[in-house]
Amino acid sequence: MFDAVLSSLAWLIYALLPDVWVDWIAGNPYSFAGLLLPIVIPLVVFQILPLLVLIERRGAAFIQDRAGPNRAYIYIPGLGIKLRAFGMIYNATDAVKLLFKESFTPPFVHKGYYFLAPTIPVITALLSLALIPWFSPILYAVGDQLHRLNGQIINANSGLLLMFAMGGVGVYGVVLGAWASNSKYSLLGGMRASAMMISYEVSMGLSVIGMLMLVGSLSLTDVVEWQGAHTWGIVVQPIGFLLFLVCQFAEANRNPFDVAEGESELVAGFHTEFNGVKFMLYMTAEYLHVIIASILLATLYLGGYQLLPLPGFGTDWLKAHLGLVAGIMLAFTGVLVLGFAWLLTGRKKKVVGSAANAEIKAERAKEYNFYIALMSMAGLGAIAAGAACIALVHTAGLGSGVAGQTVYPGWVNAVTALVQFHILIGKAMLFCWLFVWVRWTLPRFRYDQIMALGWKVMLNIALLNLLATAVIAKLVR
Amino acid sequence: MAKVIPRPTLSFWENIYFVEIFKGLTTTWGHAQKNLLHGDFPTRNYPEELPDLPRDYRARHRLMKRADGTPRCVACFMCSTACPARCINIVAEESDRADVEKRPAKFEIDLLLCVFCGFCVEACPCDAIRMDTTLGVMVADNRAEFVMTKEKLMDWQPKDFPATDTQSQKAPGGTLHAKALEDLNSGNRH
Repeated sequence: MFDAVLSSLAWLIYALLPDVWVDWIAGNPYSFAGLLLPIVIPLVVFQILPLLVLIERRGAAFIQDRAGPNRAYIYIPGLGIKLRAFGMIYNATDAVKLLFKESFTPPFVHKGYYFLAPTIPVITALLSLALIPWFSPILYAVGDQLHRLNGQIINANSGLLLMFAMGGVGVYGVVLGAWASNSKYSLLGGMRASAMMISYEVSMGLSVIGMLMLVGSLSLTDVVEWQGAHTWGIVVQPIGFLLFLVCQFAEANRNPFDVAEGESELVAGFHTEFNGVKFMLYMTAEYLHVIIASILLATLYLGGYQLLPLPGFGTDWLKAHLGLVAGIMLAFTGVLVLGFAWLLTGRKKKVVGSAANAEIKAERAKEYNFYIALMSMAGLGAIAAGAACIALVHTAGLGSGVAGQTVYPGWVNAVTALVQFHILIGKAMLFCWLFVWVRWTLPRFRYDQIMALGWKVMLNIALLNLLATAVIAKLVR
Repeated sequence: MAKVIPRPTLSFWENIYFVEIFKGLTTTWGHAQKNLLHGDFPTRNYPEELPDLPRDYRARHRLMKRADGTPRCVACFMCSTACPARCINIVAEESDRADVEKRPAKFEIDLLLCVFCGFCVEACPCDAIRMDTTLGVMVADNRAEFVMTKEKLMDWQPKDFPATDTQSQKAPGGTLHAKALEDLNSGNRH
């Protein structure tokens, strides 16, 4: 609901800009694409959220030798199948439960702040989505005039600073909620969160300056374009990457830095007194933070939407070889889906073999046959589409020179944007899994250990890294 | 004397965490990968997959049957006397058989009172009550259904019990039924 409200607000603000209207009336389709961006991006990112919850739950289960939640199902009457969808139905059941449960307000809370606080982290998290470059800027010509459509919703020169500011404001939601709860556990959790945020934002800022010094700009689009022209950030700034990664764990309040929640000592930390929709907003914000941290890590250090860590494989190369790249990506997805279908055939044998009676045997076999048929078709379809893409789509000669720049037709630009968006999301999903993986591997740090690590170790390494980068960059140039 | 446990001294590589973290991550990755690819969980998908309960697990009771289908119980009240939960309710009546004095007109076990101690099985002089059904879970939506009547307790089939369980196989439908019925009719009880 929130994303819908926010995106429509953003859309309204964007739609009120006069030059967009002029462009639109003049029949420029790109201005319409720019209008769609603030709606599509939050909606698409919100689709990753349930997937991340699923990865978290089943990933945790697999790491702990459990099967994980797989019981909730939707009965499909026409096919007679109980669709369990590998536990994905639980997202729906959770949402229904949290939305319809009694919204209890403890009598001792400060009412105004108590209701305001959970919305802050969600709003700041959604706003930081506006600063991420999802695809490279599109050059297009109207008449003989060259225009530029940015892959960000807000193309601010201070992009990364704004991003950090959003993270900094987001912690206000935690502290305010903790304070408004008027409870000792909540307050302790909130204080820990604020102290940790202060300590780790110093190291985070310093660790990323090394990268920014090399690029020479704060704009995230410039950072990604630099990585396309040279090489990925992780190659030139490995120590900066590690520091930034650790700081992102602290920023997202995830294990081993989740002392703000600290359920073993603080009940549930800052959200002890929250329930229903308010609790859901905190949870949404937590997972949004994980997604944003992953996307930011991919953008800063893993080349963002760039395909390869080599110079010469930037956006221009991608546009010239669009059929090949899109085809390989489609075929790769198809192979993954087919592999999963193959895994399911093995799983079906096991599940049907150990079923208690014939009725359950038939039911489970039907369900698994449905999955396998669906995935085989999807996988083969994707491979066929990929092959067709490689064979039929040739974009090498489609560019035309306008004002000294190569300009491609609209559909090439659109498909390129889509491919680049998927490259970025694919890289971000790797980091999402890393967040889950680390959470279920490491125990929580003690609070004083976190402070010691932040101020005595990370800060020093970040400063040394900064110094070394500055010296080497000066020598190389 | 108190045992002194020295604090472990961490080496340089242990102190910088990262190496140890990667070791831990490989361990958990191994588990995640094994479970994703093979799915051999130590847990079971109950109730689609039922646990393998042994026959000596004290599960729901059953009443043993003679070859002619009547209960073996002679309404001696030994089980209800032994029962610490007092969940067995027996009403006796005169038997129509020449060799048996009494038979149960009513034999009820209230599962909500039962503590599944197995004393009734131990007390029975003629092996009429057993707890080897492996029905470990009892579900009903009202209290009356939890009271096991004589008919419910005798509602079992010999094929659900192993061939080595000769007493069960003598009941109607069992592998030893024909021989047992012949013995019973010729007056050679049990």
